[in-house]
Amino acid sequence: MAKPNLESREKILQKLSGLELVNCFQCIKCTSGCTALKLLELKPHEIIKLVNLGFVDELAASDIIWTCVTCLKCLQRCPQRASPYHVIMALRNLAVEREAKVPEGYLKAVSRVLETGLAEGVQDVVSRKMEIFNRENLKLPKIAYPKESFQAAFMKAMEER
Amino acid sequence: MPKIGVYICHCGLNIAGVVDVAQVVEYAKSLPNVVVAKNYTYMCSEPGQRMIKEDIKTYGLDRVVIGTCSPRMHEETFRRAVAEAGLNSYLLEIVNLREHVSWAHSDEPEKATEKSKDLIRMGVARARLLEPLEKKKVSVERSALVVGGGIAGIQSALDLADAGLRVYLVEKAPSIGGRMAQLDKTFPTLDCSACILTPKMVDVAKHPNIMLLTNSEVTSVKGFVGNYEITIVKKPRYVDEKACVGCELCTKVCPVKIPDEFNEGLSETRAIQIYSPYAVPKVAIINPKHCLRLRFDKDVCGKCVQACEAKAIKFDQQPETIQLKVGGIVIAVGSEVFDASQMAELGYGHCKNVISNIEFERLVNASGPTGGKIVCPSDGKTPKTVVFVQCVGSRDKRFHEYCCRVGCMATLKQAILTREHLGRNVNIYVCFNDMRAFGKGYDEFYRRARDLDINFVAGLPSDIRYDTDGTLHFDVYDKGTNKLLELRPDLVILANGLVPNRDLGKIGELFHVSRSADGFLLEAHPKLRPLESAVSGIFLAGACQGPKDIPDTVAQASGAAAKVIDLLASGEIELEPLKAVVDGDLCSGCRICESVCPFLAVEMKTEKMDKKEKLKADIVEAMCQGCGLCVAACPTGAIKMRHYTDEQVLAQVQAACTEKEAKEGGD
Repeated sequence: MAKPNLESREKILQKLSGLELVNCFQCIKCTSGCTALKLLELKPHEIIKLVNLGFVDELAASDIIWTCVTCLKCLQRCPQRASPYHVIMALRNLAVEREAKVPEGYLKAVSRVLETGLAEGVQDVVSRKMEIFNRENLKLPKIAYPKESFQAAFMKAMEER
Repeated sequence: MPKIGVYICHCGLNIAGVVDVAQVVEYAKSLPNVVVAKNYTYMCSEPGQRMIKEDIKTYGLDRVVIGTCSPRMHEETFRRAVAEAGLNSYLLEIVNLREHVSWAHSDEPEKATEKSKDLIRMGVARARLLEPLEKKKVSVERSALVVGGGIAGIQSALDLADAGLRVYLVEKAPSIGGRMAQLDKTFPTLDCSACILTPKMVDVAKHPNIMLLTNSEVTSVKGFVGNYEITIVKKPRYVDEKACVGCELCTKVCPVKIPDEFNEGLSETRAIQIYSPYAVPKVAIINPKHCLRLRFDKDVCGKCVQACEAKAIKFDQQPETIQLKVGGIVIAVGSEVFDASQMAELGYGHCKNVISNIEFERLVNASGPTGGKIVCPSDGKTPKTVVFVQCVGSRDKRFHEYCCRVGCMATLKQAILTREHLGRNVNIYVCFNDMRAFGKGYDEFYRRARDLDINFVAGLPSDIRYDTDGTLHFDVYDKGTNKLLELRPDLVILANGLVPNRDLGKIGELFHVSRSADGFLLEAHPKLRPLESAVSGIFLAGACQGPKDIPDTVAQASGAAAKVIDLLASGEIELEPLKAVVDGDLCSGCRICESVCPFLAVEMKTEKMDKKEKLKADIVEAMCQGCGLCVAACPTGAIKMRHYTDEQVLAQVQAACTEKEAKEGGD
């Protein structure tokens, strides 16, 4: 790994007002219970230690920070309130700021919200009897697309964050 | 006209390295009423003290001002010195030129010297108005109260009794012994806990100087150091202590089953029982909440009466109130074990095979519910995989931030015992955060555990899962190998931490002892006075002051006893005269002082004046701590603080503000 970068570390700490990232004493509870550990190899205790020691740049540019499924088990069970979840979110925000690699799924979700106001696209549902249901044949009202004022407000909120 | 001597100490270079002491001495000579001013390298030394004593005689000094280190260092020394020269100890004023000047302003020597002059001027202004005071002597009771009959209380009681004091040992439970009686073996020696404890318990019962009051609680505490008035309520056992022979025939016939508290609910006992296998006194007790006759107040059952050959059952026994006078008090009420059902993710309270460390102690003990066999509580089978999980409820901001101090060592002991009981046929894991083996022989004990092929996993599990049939499984990540271990234990033992006793709030109120942030009882100073509470005459011993193991508890208990003996040995104690005093002529009887005093040191007395009865406040000197709240609160100015009168303090303020006026204003 490269040399520690304390400026980048400061950036992360600023995003975490009031959260005791630095207090982590490596009890490993978070990693032991991490939903994304077995298949995706996410180790929250390692992420916190790396950030604490200043190895932020590699993490912000990595794939691993995008594996967190935000189950919040680590947040709930950490005995020192170090919250790996918030640290990972801060790293993700830093990655977006730096225009590092962001998984396509997230980018798609953002543009979808901008265009339709919804995080998930409207989908057809197939029942067990192989019948297809959609908003039209269920006689549900059409979904209105958001106005420009919404899109402007959304862009503004994103910039402020 | 007062004759004041001023002495400026160099304190080696501590003061003289920053402050121009010669200048300060010259300045002091210029102040009114100052007859002599000198300086010396070490005023507190023999020659320094001699200088002051000789000057008192030579110049006829009646006030002494010393510019030196903090009064907390040598005020007592200098008080003794001036007394030896025939001057009253309280006609001495210490001016702090070290902590308040040379150490605080070491980078500004000129300003420091000016400040020194100001402080000396203020000290001289106060010294002019000081009055002679005498220490008071009060007689003390040569007896002690020990609250709590665990190992701490037992040790204290024995030490106090051996020193010749009369000791009253009060214990809430039906027997003394406390937590230590529940343990199987003790670390790091693997001594049998009951074998080393029971001889002491018997000594307590037999000691001519100890009055043992079990099944009793303290209900009120009045008085002051050396003269406490205690009220104790002895709850009824419904069994005559003198008649009962401890045969336990009653227990065999009682139809009401209740969980056995001594076995942490792992087994059942009866509504009439002897508290534990090592109970002292060995007398039966009936639980009034469960006994059919007592609960329903009807003439039913009575099987125990029929069975008892000693005719010891007494359903009409009443609580007994006992009044005592004691000189000193030792609080040794112990601690409790964390209830892990607060941590739902660990399965305690839901799954029978997840047990606490104290439950394991009963399980592995020969006089416990399984006769010492380590079995899974769900089916009684021998476990093949046993896992210990550390730091449950401790080092955790959600529950208790502190480290419980004994968890690591207790688990090592229990892991070693598991290996000894079950041999090679069991896999033992310890999941830990840090392994704290800090004491004498402790790290060697850790080595012993590793030698017995016990696996240490550097990591804590997030949760413990259980299936509907009760089988346990959980994952834990190990820092050393970077592997996720998937464990399927038959038995999980949680290292629950020691937590403050639920009664501590009540105890604190009764004895006016505060609690620290972690909830345990607060000591007078964490480093230098760990055995004393803030209340004079009340001492702390054992886990009630903070979680600790047996060696530290015994040390503290003996120390607390020594402090009590120290206090009461001569039969009298001296009280500092720095107390508040009421001028009856000015007192309006408004009682504001009584309401603000934190030490219950104000008594209202009725006086007859002009055929009317008037209430006047009076300060109980032995209780007064000289805090000054009443002095400030009194609306008529009837209360003054000796040695810190308004005139004295205001003279200092005046001297601080205007140099010129102070010079001209002297007598």
